[in-house]
Amino acid sequence: MSRRRVVITGMGVVTPLGHSVGEMFANVVEGKSGVDRITHFDAATFPTTFAAEVKGFDLGRFVKDATRFAKCGLNTRFALAASKQALEDANLLGGAGVDRTRFGVYLGSGEGQEDFRTVICGTGAAATADGLKINPPVFIRTALEYLDPPREQQLEMHTSAGHLAEEFDLCGPNFTCLTACAASAQAIGEAVEMIRFGDADLMLTGGSHSMIHPFGVTGFNLLTALSQRNATPQKASRPFDLTRDGFVLGEGAGMLVLEEYEHAKGRGAPIYAELTGYGTTGDAYRMTDPHPEGRGAVMAMRHALKDAGLAPVDVGYINAHGTSTHANDEAETAAIKASLGPEVAYKTPVSSSKSMLGHLIAAGGAVELIISVLAMRKDVLPPTINYETPDPKCDLDYVPNAAREKTGVRHVLSNSFGFGGQNITLIASRV
Amino acid sequence: MPSTSRRAVFTGLGVFSPVGSGAEAFWQALRAGACGVHTVRSFDASALACHVAGEVADFDAKKVVPKEHKKRLNQMGRAVQLGLCAAYRAWEDAKGPQKGQIDPFRYGVEFACMMVATELEDLARASKVSLNGTPGSVNMAVWGRDGLRDIPPQWMLKYLPNMPACHTSILVDAQGPNNSITSGDVAGLLALGEAYRAMNRDLADAFLVGGCESKINPLSFTRHNTFQPLTRRNDIPEQALRPFDADRDGTVLGEGAAAVSLESLDFAKGRGAAILAELVGFAAGFDRGRKGPVLAGVIRNALKEAGIQPSDVDHVNAGASGSKELDAFEARAIAEVFGDSIPVYAARPHFGSMGAASGLVELTASILALRHGELPGTLNHEKPDPACPIQVHTGAPRSVTKPYVVKLSYTDMGQCAAVVVRKWDE
Repeated sequence: MSRRRVVITGMGVVTPLGHSVGEMFANVVEGKSGVDRITHFDAATFPTTFAAEVKGFDLGRFVKDATRFAKCGLNTRFALAASKQALEDANLLGGAGVDRTRFGVYLGSGEGQEDFRTVICGTGAAATADGLKINPPVFIRTALEYLDPPREQQLEMHTSAGHLAEEFDLCGPNFTCLTACAASAQAIGEAVEMIRFGDADLMLTGGSHSMIHPFGVTGFNLLTALSQRNATPQKASRPFDLTRDGFVLGEGAGMLVLEEYEHAKGRGAPIYAELTGYGTTGDAYRMTDPHPEGRGAVMAMRHALKDAGLAPVDVGYINAHGTSTHANDEAETAAIKASLGPEVAYKTPVSSSKSMLGHLIAAGGAVELIISVLAMRKDVLPPTINYETPDPKCDLDYVPNAAREKTGVRHVLSNSFGFGGQNITLIASRV
Repeated sequence: MPSTSRRAVFTGLGVFSPVGSGAEAFWQALRAGACGVHTVRSFDASALACHVAGEVADFDAKKVVPKEHKKRLNQMGRAVQLGLCAAYRAWEDAKGPQKGQIDPFRYGVEFACMMVATELEDLARASKVSLNGTPGSVNMAVWGRDGLRDIPPQWMLKYLPNMPACHTSILVDAQGPNNSITSGDVAGLLALGEAYRAMNRDLADAFLVGGCESKINPLSFTRHNTFQPLTRRNDIPEQALRPFDADRDGTVLGEGAAAVSLESLDFAKGRGAAILAELVGFAAGFDRGRKGPVLAGVIRNALKEAGIQPSDVDHVNAGASGSKELDAFEARAIAEVFGDSIPVYAARPHFGSMGAASGLVELTASILALRHGELPGTLNHEKPDPACPIQVHTGAPRSVTKPYVVKLSYTDMGQCAAVVVRKWDE
């Protein structure tokens, strides 16, 4: 029995380089950087003072009466805006005559933003003189003074996908996953599988996240994972460059409508690409470090190629996870060589959109898949910017600094790897 | 559904709950009508409007995990530790698969877990130095410069929802699919369903599927008190969670974890594993407005996949949160599919609403009921509610008379799921 095919019929984004797919892709092709000083809070004394923030975001442009979502986290608000674009793109707004129970949601989403002020004021007030313990009743009293109940409710992690289902009347399976930086790629891969198996005909899927808040920057700074190139923020995200010193936080959302191929054809939907390959593995190695030879990443890419029925040479472009950390970029380079074979790997262009957009964490994989699909459709490969000093251990063709025209790309591969060891590879193909 | 779909069976159980840890202790407690809901003991919560909860007493992860993994326990929040320990117990119960028995890339891990609340002690010094004297404000300059130095470097990693699955994969060298579902009270069944589909599609031979949650800490418990409809029966905690009862007044929070070893039937037989039950149906949806028809449709889809009729089902194991609105929602859907005579069972009054852990802890009760051939009575259902037109099984245990059970879970927004489990008698 032949397997059900899954195609992309709608795409939408909210990113540091634009709030529409067209605007973002134009900026990415120009090699622009979305990185600048952090404005969401006063980060002047943090080890890292910059990030790729979404600028000028107005949810009211995308939904009626945005005040309904005023208490929601940025993750929910970004997801609503990107979803609206994707559904509009797919001609699926306003009922559109599809069975709502066959239309699900799979979101790779971060948490809402923990109320920093409440937690710190409560904890500070409740801390014992030596600062080692806390007095719970004092914490509770202080916290109750500051907590905003509706906002606390919206921090619950199932609410983002719930709002999408409510707002757009999607009554099929409703999933949220959070596998760190792999989350939205994993959500898309699992959504593909749900359509293939028959659990749904349509899935609104992708990811949304913002960790540009005091706890997020604190956590990543403590792990020494972020670039600290505070003097030149636009130069900070430099994947595969020898002088890279960590990743740059970004924020935003990328959402796609996935649809069973015959269903899409039947209603005359625009078809942007087919999702042909999904590979998913776990490193079973360490919490944050990738396996040095990229063991799990190699298998994720091989599984995706096998799933798509492709040979390595068929892949015309790779959108790398490419975080700009020493460990990732070296391990990913080794993994690409191991999975494609060195000869093919050296001939395959690889670039990292994180050099421009920063790392959108849970939303990264979805936005990068959208960029990969556009690269294939528009015959232009986005660059890796800030690539200045080659690293002998990173010796692939990273499309340095300027976009490159390339026609005839039929298959693109996008990698996403998470803290915690989740490795996801997606392959999209021309239809 | 594809006719080539591979079958999946349960081969091991691990559970940590307020009424006992380990499948046998858990079962005996349910049978005896024990209740693990008390006034909160781990900290003084008396200032909160609801200060009763189900806590896992004497939980010590060091006594569970193998020696070489103990040093990693201080990098895990309590929920993560509970989840890891449940997964390890499920793996032990299933007697493997051991290294060498399975291709590591065909061994997956799937967890239900939410963002774990920060332990306030980790932030105590940093917070103290960063208060600037004005009530309700934090000195960001001091926090960024001095506060960060007082926080453990791996602070963030203790609390990420994908950590139970990460640590479990390291423990048993499972390098296959590894996902973490964060859909609240329905997450456990969604995680199980996703692992089941991976098995159906021949992407894996075995999975450890777990769910874990602990909100019984000052931060989470205070937060939930501000927005969740929790019981006010602080004086009689063991009667507080009252499923489908006319006098129910809200849910009770609990903590705990459960995990199952799920294997493809062929693989389990091949390695000689003892089979506990078979997973035969799964479906999920979103019931907009929590009215009932979508949940009813989800139940029908799960029955259809199992190839059975409503009359083949022994009992429905309900989510039964004890909330006024949500119990009525669930009851309407059950009644729509099964009528008003099927026995409905709720395990939740014993230990509270465990969020991401609920689905699998409660499912464990029904797997054990199928094994033991009897279903315990539901606690605290005394006065039927016309808004809940179903037959709740109460009182003495009844004999299990049919080979299938249906387990339901839902969230307060409308995410819902159903699984169908078949008694193993081959």
